[in-house]
Amino acid sequence: MTDSLRRTHLYEWHKEHGDLVPFAGWEMPVRFTDIREEHKAVREAVGIFDTTNMNRFWISGPQAPEFLQTVTTNNVSKLEINGGQYTTCLNEQGGIHDDLMLYRVGENEYIWVTNADNGPKIHDHLKKTSKDFDVKVENRTKEVSMIAVQGPKALALLSKLAGKDVSEFPRFSANLVSLAGNDCYLCRTGYTGEAGAELLVLDTPFNDEGKKKAIAFWEEILKQGEEFGVKPCGLGARDSLRLEAGFVLYGHEIDEDTSPIEARISYAVKFKVDPHYLGYDTVWSHKKEKTIRKTRIGLIMIDRGIPRQHYPLLFEGKQIGEVTSGVMSPILKQGIALAYVKPNTVQIDDIVEVDIKGRFRKARVTSWPFYDKERYGETRIS
Amino acid sequence: MSDELSTPDELLYSRAHEWVRVEGDIVVIGITDFAQNSLHEITFVEVSEAGTVLETNAECGLVESMKASSEIYTPIAGEIVEVNPSLEDSPEVVNESPYDKGWLMKIKPSNLESDKAQLLDAKGYLEYVQSL
Repeated sequence: MTDSLRRTHLYEWHKEHGDLVPFAGWEMPVRFTDIREEHKAVREAVGIFDTTNMNRFWISGPQAPEFLQTVTTNNVSKLEINGGQYTTCLNEQGGIHDDLMLYRVGENEYIWVTNADNGPKIHDHLKKTSKDFDVKVENRTKEVSMIAVQGPKALALLSKLAGKDVSEFPRFSANLVSLAGNDCYLCRTGYTGEAGAELLVLDTPFNDEGKKKAIAFWEEILKQGEEFGVKPCGLGARDSLRLEAGFVLYGHEIDEDTSPIEARISYAVKFKVDPHYLGYDTVWSHKKEKTIRKTRIGLIMIDRGIPRQHYPLLFEGKQIGEVTSGVMSPILKQGIALAYVKPNTVQIDDIVEVDIKGRFRKARVTSWPFYDKERYGETRIS
Repeated sequence: MSDELSTPDELLYSRAHEWVRVEGDIVVIGITDFAQNSLHEITFVEVSEAGTVLETNAECGLVESMKASSEIYTPIAGEIVEVNPSLEDSPEVVNESPYDKGWLMKIKPSNLESDKAQLLDAKGYLEYVQSL
């Protein structure tokens, strides 16, 4: 068992064009040019990301929907063919094993797309919990690469590559499309707040031929995207974009000790489901009886400074919580953060202090997304 | 960001990646090309204000970039007489011109010879960086 970092199909391209860093056991580009420029390209035009380090499981069989309902919190029965949903997979205490996208691509065929960190954990969990069901769980992470195309011009670029209008595909849908000769599931989802898709690129085995195919596709997207102002984007921009949108990141806002109710991602949780999923009782209690132990808030700095993970938060002189993620927002040009506080301590517009390495700096409690929804994001008024 | 590391000969360097330039009876301090390149997109710089009296290696500021946060420690003891006014509105000047327009602060030294003896010359600093 080697300790070396894993690489995606596009590694050679990333090595030539970007700055590589270790991330969740993978060697990935943190940037290609400048994180802020890449970030702005996604908000104003279109950016592409290699997300092959995420994990992709195919779950199929006559009992697939029933099985999936026992291990995920959203309503699986509501998924029509080509539909998708954001959902969570919980432990017995209602804490989060992972957040994920679940797509239904056939009568009894589903794709589970999950975080890089949590691949082995989720694979073991699925194998164990599916034993008594008539289902098949296949890890197709290696042979299916993944590219995210995000931004106000993303759908125009994807339509050009498809030779047809893909903007008709509704949000969260997953449809089989040929893009520049590559069969892909075009999933109308993303992690930036902007319109676009995450492409599951089929038939890219992790060998020389598959890597060449993936690189050729990536380069073709960049070539066809030139007229739209496309930029290749790394992990740095991926994080600043998701933070501005208020999206959670595993290991920061969500983990085994945090419920989706505490994380304020209740839209991933449904209660009128059958059978009940693992962790149901705790989430029910958190939601209906308000037994949460903490709650997520957003912060925007008033004073100068950047809040970062683990920095304490004070309100009226008392520590009430800590920061989970923070960054200088390239759009707002101000520090923004996500944090957890004890329930019933602060509300929107309250002023708290962030302990930035011994300097106490003021921030305002706010909600997300942090950007103006009329100017940025999928709901922008164009 | 240049591929070749810049380490001007006339400066002295600390192992915490600050540079020192003696200009008459004050010294100018900043962070090195190696430091700005490691931090990359610098978004925020804060230095203790003029009038602050510092001991050698005291923490006197913070440099934030998109992916990192780094304290600044003064290699020279003394009183801060001036802080670069460009830092607040244009922190990127530290990336663009770390040894010139991106200077951080000017200090009236209280212990110059002793502090200088702890520092490296350009060649020594380059060797140190290459060993990291």
